[in-house]
Amino acid sequence: MAQEPVIPSGGVLNDVAQGGNVARRTKDPTGMFFLLPAAVWVLLFTIFPLLYALYTSFWSFRFGQRNQFVGLDNFVRLFTDANLHSALRVTLTFVIVTVVVEMLVGFGLALLLNQEIRGKSVLRAIMVLPLFATPVGMGFLGITLFYEINGPINVFLRTLGIEGIPWLSTPQWAPVAVMLIDIWQWTPFVFLVSLAALQGLPVDLYEAAEVDGASGWDSFRNITLPLMTPTLWLILLLRLVEAFKVFDIPASMTLGGPGRATEVYSLFTYRTALRFFDHGYAAAQGILLLFIVMLIVTLLFGRIRELYEVGG
Amino acid sequence: MRGFKFLSVLLVLSMILAACGGGGAPAAAPAEQAAPAGEAAAEEAPEAEATAIPGGETYATVTEGSDILPPVLVEPCEPGSCPFEGQTVTVIVNTAGSKGPISGPFYEVREEFEAATGATLEIVEVPEAEHFPKLMTDVTTGTGQYDTSIAGAWWVGDLVEGDFIISYDDYFDDPRFPQWDYEDVQSGPRSLLEYGGKKYMVANDHDGQVMYYRRDLIEDPEHQAAFLEEYGYELGVPQTWDQFRDVAEYFDGKDLNGDGTPDDGLTLHLKVGGQGMFHFMSFSAPFVIGPDNPKLYWFDPETMDPLMASPGHLRAMETLVDLLQFGPEAMMAWSLGESWDHFLRGQAALTFTWGDLGSLAQEEGSQVRGKTGAALMPGTMEYFDAAAGEWKATETPNMVGNTTGGSWSGVISKFSDAPEATYYLLALMATKEKSLIYAQRGWDGVDPGRFSHYLPPEGTASLDGYVAAGWDGQDATDYTKAYHDNFGAELQFPYLRIPGAFEYWNSLDIHLSEAATGQKTPEEALQATADDFDAITDRLGRDLQQASYKASLGLE
Repeated sequence: MAQEPVIPSGGVLNDVAQGGNVARRTKDPTGMFFLLPAAVWVLLFTIFPLLYALYTSFWSFRFGQRNQFVGLDNFVRLFTDANLHSALRVTLTFVIVTVVVEMLVGFGLALLLNQEIRGKSVLRAIMVLPLFATPVGMGFLGITLFYEINGPINVFLRTLGIEGIPWLSTPQWAPVAVMLIDIWQWTPFVFLVSLAALQGLPVDLYEAAEVDGASGWDSFRNITLPLMTPTLWLILLLRLVEAFKVFDIPASMTLGGPGRATEVYSLFTYRTALRFFDHGYAAAQGILLLFIVMLIVTLLFGRIRELYEVGG
Repeated sequence: MRGFKFLSVLLVLSMILAACGGGGAPAAAPAEQAAPAGEAAAEEAPEAEATAIPGGETYATVTEGSDILPPVLVEPCEPGSCPFEGQTVTVIVNTAGSKGPISGPFYEVREEFEAATGATLEIVEVPEAEHFPKLMTDVTTGTGQYDTSIAGAWWVGDLVEGDFIISYDDYFDDPRFPQWDYEDVQSGPRSLLEYGGKKYMVANDHDGQVMYYRRDLIEDPEHQAAFLEEYGYELGVPQTWDQFRDVAEYFDGKDLNGDGTPDDGLTLHLKVGGQGMFHFMSFSAPFVIGPDNPKLYWFDPETMDPLMASPGHLRAMETLVDLLQFGPEAMMAWSLGESWDHFLRGQAALTFTWGDLGSLAQEEGSQVRGKTGAALMPGTMEYFDAAAGEWKATETPNMVGNTTGGSWSGVISKFSDAPEATYYLLALMATKEKSLIYAQRGWDGVDPGRFSHYLPPEGTASLDGYVAAGWDGQDATDYTKAYHDNFGAELQFPYLRIPGAFEYWNSLDIHLSEAATGQKTPEEALQATADDFDAITDRLGRDLQQASYKASLGLE
């Protein structure tokens, strides 16, 4: 005889377990007690800093201390500051290039290493290693790799008869060098999550397709890609959010130079706050970045929800 | 399953490696640099030491070769009668370790200080990029965690105007403290110790840029003959920037160290955040400063309008950008460590930089020991007098001394609960006996700037002392004379010490890089700098900035 699940308290869980009305609330305070740590956490570390940043953005600062209430002046500066616009442009380029390359290469490698090939485990392990290095360490490693006079990459290029590339000293190549290091570090993330998702795909679908005479490309286009789409959207979302916040790699490799060629948004905000002590303007910059990221998250979440709903 | 185990082991190992490798380099430490691969000087050195300084960057270049120690000067106190029993002095200093520049001498003096005072010395090392933010956070919140900061001279405007540090005027002549000779510090660096007529920084490091040249090349008869034929005058130590250009052009592309590959006419460091703006300051000074305009470089003190786009600044920028063709293209991305390394390998004939290079040239691994001459920075034959709005010619080269750099020295926090013990520590390290040893050694980052550091007839130090510290005699003679001439020059580059100094300099640094890498013309770069200066001045308060600027120039 089937027994009803026994759940000690927490009316919502009971409702779910019994297929009842989730909207019906219990007055049992125990549930609220368990929620309290999370609520305090959110209040302390999310809501309060957000409100404090908003409050700070209405002030000008001198000697690192609040000086004068300036209303929306700091937000108006966001629209007139050419240096900020430059940082936004650099960041957008960085985000688009790195995320697209990471998604393509990471997913491609996951497909490759999802096959039955010799040394698959070793290759997978090696593939994910860069993910565990600290970004600032990767940046310093980047200085060494891209060192123009006798760095290993230029030495290698010269052995092929190719003139060394001015990786870090020109505004054309420095962004490329920074993006290559980011791609090196974060492609394994796309690879790792994609591979995990690929391994969870139902094998019987592929077997059925094979029986029906589908080619490899047909299986990829009609089975793998549709089933992987929600996962890929999720990876895209995570990478976009992280890429917008990039700091360590350009900060350790180029400090934003030459000129402002690699000065990304977070580095610009870091300088505003902790080098120039213009905390009000830095807070306004932070709020703008938050707005941009929230917009992306909302749009992509909407898309992901649609996909899950369509998929049942 | 075996594959999974292997993967697990690899993952754990990689995580440990990541933790070990990255843990020591905080994310917000953009100024700290790793040595590029294949740097021969570092490879040849069995125990590479962290070296560097002015802006506080750390770099592995050459080894510690000179191991002389400063004398112990104060006697241990009797328990129960120690002057600062139970007190703790906390010093915040740029990260470099117990044998590193600026921080090293604090570890060295700790035992002596603690025995003489009964106080405890705690040393907090932070990367240069985090030093000022941490200090400002400490003083703006009134926490008082740090009793003293070994501060960059450009911070003093913010620290004094913000009422965050105290003057040591009352302690200076007090016999309870170690006595050091204020007048021994030469006039250039001495001016940085004061603000508004009061003493704030206790003398320690003395930064200023001088020109370094390869003496062996300049004195080579074959080069002299070839140069004479090509340029129509005798090869010698450049006196003007025009001559500097000729010498750089002549040596560019020649093999200067016998390794069979062409080398460079000069080397500089122009990476954004790599202190390139200091190069421009020292370089441009004689284009703007002159006998009729000894002080106006940054702003018009009556309006606080920036002078950065003046014809003098423009010619300086154009000249500097033109010179860059005689150096490696890579130097646009170099911090000072890489540039010094290039010179120390014998790969450049000329440079202009801080005192560290002269002493590093004496260390093990250097290829230019005994070949490194030093002299006052070259000048110009005319300068643009901003006050009169016209170019003025000079009969002799218009040469201007400078104190550009950090001149890292101790200031006492207003929130210190042990200000007297703190001053005792700083004064002990400022004594003539200790300072001389600091200046003679390469590794501790303390550069010369006192009469007691110079050789006769300019000063009182002995050549034997420098030789005992590992110096080549002629190198030491040239070096100390260059610093004496630089800091004692009648005209001095006006150091900017008003609130927001770093923000002004950061703008100059970025726009200099844009001009150097062809993103902007020199004119556009300087106009952009002037526009930024205006915006910063408006934000910080034009009237307040004007008052600070006038005070810093002694115009009040």
